[in-house]
Amino acid sequence: MTMNADELIESWVADVAVQLPRRQRNDVAFELRSLLREELLARAEDSGHDADVQMATGLLHDFGHPDAVAARYRPTLTIIEPADGHHFLKAMVIGLAVIWGAGLFVQLGQPMSSGWDLLLVVSRWWVGTVIPSLWWPGVLVVWFAMAAWTRRCWPSTGDWKPRANDRIQGGRAALLMGMVGIVCGVCILYEPGFWLDYFWSGRVAPQAIDALTYTEEFRQRQGLWLFVLLLLNIPLMIGVFISGRWSPGWRQLSLALGLLDCVVMAWTILDGPVFLSAVSNETAKGAMALIIAGVILTQAIRFYRSVTPMPDGPVRVQESQ
Amino acid sequence: MGSEDTFNKLELELRRGVVVLATLSQLRTPRYGYELRQALADQGMPIEEGTLYPLLRRLETQGVLKSEWKIDEGPPRRYYSLNAEGRKLFKRLTGSWQGMNAAMGQLLEEE
Repeated sequence: MTMNADELIESWVADVAVQLPRRQRNDVAFELRSLLREELLARAEDSGHDADVQMATGLLHDFGHPDAVAARYRPTLTIIEPADGHHFLKAMVIGLAVIWGAGLFVQLGQPMSSGWDLLLVVSRWWVGTVIPSLWWPGVLVVWFAMAAWTRRCWPSTGDWKPRANDRIQGGRAALLMGMVGIVCGVCILYEPGFWLDYFWSGRVAPQAIDALTYTEEFRQRQGLWLFVLLLLNIPLMIGVFISGRWSPGWRQLSLALGLLDCVVMAWTILDGPVFLSAVSNETAKGAMALIIAGVILTQAIRFYRSVTPMPDGPVRVQESQ
Repeated sequence: MGSEDTFNKLELELRRGVVVLATLSQLRTPRYGYELRQALADQGMPIEEGTLYPLLRRLETQGVLKSEWKIDEGPPRRYYSLNAEGRKLFKRLTGSWQGMNAAMGQLLEEE
């Protein structure tokens, strides 16, 4: 169906007006139609021939897409603040990568004997992980929209607050609690079977005790190192407690201790059993693998976020006149 | 090509900054949309129709313009003009613009 110039304008105006609030819709449509006709007449006069469809199409093209024009009639609506754009994108990409990666890891754990099985795994991953993962961008949009709305309503909440790099998170109280936690942890981990038996007044099944009994080999090899390294955190924390801040020296010591922990845990995972029970053994090694991944990830993020102010090229010395 | 693109984008940014003031300046007397666009274009400040007409409505919603439908040699047209609030705003923006213009003049004349 071909339209004439007037019908083209009517159609365009209707597409703009329908997106406007009902109370101003008809009025804007009437005004826009009148203005467009006037513009078209002026173009026709300039060109020296009657207005036609081609001319009207050109005019409407110059005017813009109805969606864009309708948007200009309303106050700007910002869902995600421009300042949050990069944070939003980064959180979305990282989140999706983690969800998709974990889903793929789980699916690839299934037994596969042919190319068909691989196709099945991929399709299960697509349907079971990738498509449902779209909840993540949705959650982020809501989160960032709420943050933007909060900042607009209460601007002071968005004020920048200085953070000292060497501050103790949670203060000295958190350090104290950390130390108590380490002492309790070491006591429990040193002989977990004993504590189980103690709390259940000797009525625990022997299989449960076995499940929490270390192998002699582990106790004499990695166990000793792990407990010593864990206990070394106490003098470190006492030092930080006294100085009241994480100085670069304390940070390096903590990093070295953490990395040593990782090395011993990796050695434990690769070496013989930790517990007499196979299930406990697998659980303990899985937990250690998670701790290692956590430490590496934390250090990687810290490295990525570190800033060392320095020029990225040679500095020319201005000669005095 | 790249430098032409950059120029176009930056020039557009400059224009965006003065569109409101230019529009207000021409509404000290009542004008309807097309007439206003012509007046601006004739004085070297062409503004796209898709930008100008919605802007008039937005300024009216913000309470700086008043408007009324009138018939004057032709179809009914909506005429816009500054209201009391708009005149105050125009005066203040004019002062700011003149200050910036003088500063820019000095900056651009250096060396």
